[in-house]
Amino acid sequence: MIDLVQNTIDGVMIGSSYGLLALGFTLIFGVMRRLNLSYGPSIMIGGYVGTVLYVQYGAGPLAVAGTMILGAAIAGIYVERLCFAPMRMGAGIASMVSSFAIWMQLEQAAILVLPRHTYPFPPLTTGAPLEWGPFLLRLDHLIMLGCALGLTAAIQFALYRTRFGLALRAIIGNPVAAHLVGINVSVAVMLAFAAASAIGGVAGFLVLSVDQQVTPMFGMWATLKGLIAMMIGGLGSIPGAILGGLLLGVVEAHCQWYFGPQIRDLAAYIVLFVFLLVHPGGLLGRAPGSDIAAPRTP
Amino acid sequence: MLDVTDLVTAYGKIEALKGVSLQVEGGKITCLLGPNGAGKTTLMMTIAGVLQPRRGSIRLKGAELAGLSPARIVSQGVALVPENRLVFPHMSVYENLLAGAYQRHDKAGVNADIERMYARFPQLHERSEQMAGTLSGGEQQMLAVARALMSQPRLLLMDEPSLGLAPLIVAEIFNIIAELNRDGTTIFLVEQNAHMALQVAHQFFLMEQGRITFKGTPGQLAEDEVIQRAYLGTRRAAG
Amino acid sequence: MDFYLGLIQIIGVHTLLGLSAYCVLLTGQVSLAQAGFFAIGAYVAGMLTVLLHWPLVLALIVSAILGGAMACAVGFPALRVKGLMLVVATAAFGEAVRLFFFNFTYQVQSGAILLGPHGGEGFRQIRYFPEHGWGTLDVVLFIWTIVVLVMAMLWWMDRSRVGAVLRAVGEDELAAQSTGINITAVKVSAMTIGGIIAGIGGGIFAHYTTHIEHIQFGIVLATFAIAYPILGGLSNVFGTLLAVIFIQGLLIEGLRFLGDWRNLLFGGLIVLAMNIRPRGLLDAGVLMTLKRLVSRNGERKGA
Repeated sequence: MIDLVQNTIDGVMIGSSYGLLALGFTLIFGVMRRLNLSYGPSIMIGGYVGTVLYVQYGAGPLAVAGTMILGAAIAGIYVERLCFAPMRMGAGIASMVSSFAIWMQLEQAAILVLPRHTYPFPPLTTGAPLEWGPFLLRLDHLIMLGCALGLTAAIQFALYRTRFGLALRAIIGNPVAAHLVGINVSVAVMLAFAAASAIGGVAGFLVLSVDQQVTPMFGMWATLKGLIAMMIGGLGSIPGAILGGLLLGVVEAHCQWYFGPQIRDLAAYIVLFVFLLVHPGGLLGRAPGSDIAAPRTP
Repeated sequence: MLDVTDLVTAYGKIEALKGVSLQVEGGKITCLLGPNGAGKTTLMMTIAGVLQPRRGSIRLKGAELAGLSPARIVSQGVALVPENRLVFPHMSVYENLLAGAYQRHDKAGVNADIERMYARFPQLHERSEQMAGTLSGGEQQMLAVARALMSQPRLLLMDEPSLGLAPLIVAEIFNIIAELNRDGTTIFLVEQNAHMALQVAHQFFLMEQGRITFKGTPGQLAEDEVIQRAYLGTRRAAG
Repeated sequence: MDFYLGLIQIIGVHTLLGLSAYCVLLTGQVSLAQAGFFAIGAYVAGMLTVLLHWPLVLALIVSAILGGAMACAVGFPALRVKGLMLVVATAAFGEAVRLFFFNFTYQVQSGAILLGPHGGEGFRQIRYFPEHGWGTLDVVLFIWTIVVLVMAMLWWMDRSRVGAVLRAVGEDELAAQSTGINITAVKVSAMTIGGIIAGIGGGIFAHYTTHIEHIQFGIVLATFAIAYPILGGLSNVFGTLLAVIFIQGLLIEGLRFLGDWRNLLFGGLIVLAMNIRPRGLLDAGVLMTLKRLVSRNGERKGA
C-alpha cells in the first residue's frame, strides 16, 4: 500500500514535467493545427546552450535556466520561420516533414557543438528529500509540480485576459477573419511559437536538472512525451495537457514498479493507442476529429 | 475615395482579376454585381490585403494600399465584412467586438463604441456573453458588421451580406446598410441579390470573368437586364 | 563498385517503404505505422530463414501476409480517428512494435552460437545471402525485380478504378461517401496494401543488412517513410522513387564528404524543397510539362 501511494506520488511529480511539455505543444497545435516534430529538439538546443554555460563558465542553475529558456525560444522561432510561416494553408503535412528535417539538423548541430554523448547539467537543489509520514518527496519534484500549475494558470490568464491572448484566440477561431480585424497574424504566430518553446524550455530545464545530464536524444524524448501527454489530455485543452501529463506519469510509474523500465515505455504507447481509439477526444478535448472541419459547436 | 486601377490578382497561373478598374465615391453606396466566379470576392480580398495583387494599384484618398499587409490596411481605415461572416465562433459576442477594435488603444473610446453597437444592434446586447458560433445567421451577420465598424473605418467593404439569410433578415440588413451610409460611412458592397442592392446603391458596377463590363447608376439600366447579366453573365444571356 | 551496388540496394528497399506510405497517403491518411510493419516483416522473415531454414521467397510471402494482416487489424480501429490523431495513434503503434522487439528474445542453439532475436542487442547473423552463394549483384537484381513488380502493380492500380476510388476518398471523404463508396473498406484496403509492401520491404532489409535491431525501426524511419511520397508528390509512384534517390542518393550519400556537417545541410535542403514545391517534386505541373515535351518529340519524329 505504501508502495502504491509512493509510486503515485512519484508519478504525479514526473507527470508534471510531461504536462509542462504538453502545455507548449498544445499552444503550438492550437494556433497552427499542425504537428511540430522539432518541438523537443528546440528544447534540446536550449539545454545545450545552458550546459555550455555551466561546463565552460560554471554558471549557476538560474543563469542556466534563463539561457536555456531563451535558447529554446530562439530555436522555436527558427523552426517556425522555416517550416510553418512559408507553408500555405492545406500544406500541413509539408510542414510536418520539414519540421522533421529540422529535427535532424538541430540534433546534428548539438553533436557538432558538444561531441561527447552526454554532458553534465546543474542540479536545481541538492537538499535531502522531505519526509511526510512514510512517504518521500523530492524538492525538485515539488518545484516541477509548482511550475506546472503556475504556468497553466499564467497561460489561461494570458489567453483570456490579455490583448495578445485575444489575438491568438481570434487566429485559432478563424485566421482569415483575424487578418481582417487587423491582427498581424504572422508576428502573433511567431510569438506564440516562441512562447511555446520557452514553456518547453522551462519543462526541459526541470527535467534535465533532475537527470543532471543532457544528451542529443533528449529532443526526441521531449517531443514524444509532450505529444503523448497532449493527446491523452485532449487536443487544444490547456488544463487537459497538465491532466494528461499527470496521468501518463502515474501510469508509467506503476508500470515501472511492477514490470520494469522497458515495459514502462511500451505501456505508455499502448495506453495512448487504446485511449485514442476508445475516446479520441482525450480527457478534456473537444469533439473527435476537431482538427479537420470541426462542426461549429451548437 | 477608393481608386482601383488595372488590378490583376492571380491564383497560380489563373488570373481571377484581369485588370479591374473602378472608383468608389466618398459618402455613397457603391455596389458590385456579377455572376458566381466573376472575381468579386477576390477583388474584396485583394483590397483588404488578404490576397496580394500581381499588378495594378488600389488608392484610398491617394494613398497606395496595394502591397500593404491586412493589418496596415485596417489602420488606413478600410474594414471588410467577409463573405460567410467569419465570426470567431468560440469567442463571446463582446470579445468579437473587442477583436474588431484590435488596433485601437483608446480603451474608453472602444468601450463607448461597444455600447453604441449594442444600441444599434439590440440582439447583440442581449447575447453579449454568448459564444458567437451559437448565434443565428442574421445575428452573426450583424456581429460581423459591428465588428468591422469597431475599427472606425472610413470605407466599409461588404461581401455578400445577404448570403444564406431569410428574406426578412435580408431586408433588415439592407436597412442597416442604408442607415450606416446616412450616418456618413462610405460603403462598397458586393451582392448577388441585385434587386435589394439596386434599391440602396447610388452607383453600381457589373463584373464578369474578372473584368468590369458596366458602370452606371441604378436608373440607367432596366432591372431585368441587370439581373440577367448579374446572374448569368452577358455571354450566356446573349446565347 | 560495391559502394554503388550497396546504395542501389538501399534505394530499392526505401522505395518499398515509401510506396507503402504512398498508397495510404492517397486516401488522405498520414500513417506513422509503416516502420512498425517494416519491423514485423524484417523480424519474421529473418526468423523464418535463420531458424526454420525456409527459402527466402516463401519467408517474404509470410512477411507480406503478416504485415498486411497487422495493417488491416490496425486499420479498422485507427479509422475512428483522423488527422493528427491518426498520426499520433499510428506513431504510438509503431513505437509499441519497436519496444516489443526491444524486449523480444527467442534464441536457438546452432552449433557454437545462439541464433535469433536477442532483445536490445538485436538479431544478428541473418546470413541467407552468403550462405546460399548470392553475390551482391544477384541481391541487387532480386531487390529491384520486387521493386519494379510493386511499382508496376501500384501504377496499374493508380490508373484503374481502384486508384480513382482511393483518390476520391483522399480528396473529399463526404463527397466520396455520397457517391456510394464504402469509406471504411477503401481505407482499410489501402492500409492493408501498405502493410503488405512494408512487410516485403522489411523482409528484404533484414537479409541484406544481416543484422537488425529495434532502434532502426523508430519514429525516424516512420517519418522517412511518409517524407518520400510527400516530397516526391502524390501524382504517381515515380515521385516516391525520385524522392528516395534525392534523399538517399543525393543528400545522404552525395553529401557524405561534408562529414558531420551533412545533416545540417540535409535538413535545410529538405525544407527548401518543401518550401519551393509544397505539393512534391513531381506534381501535376511538372507532369504536364514532361508530357508536352514527350509529345513534341513524338510529333517531330512523326513528321
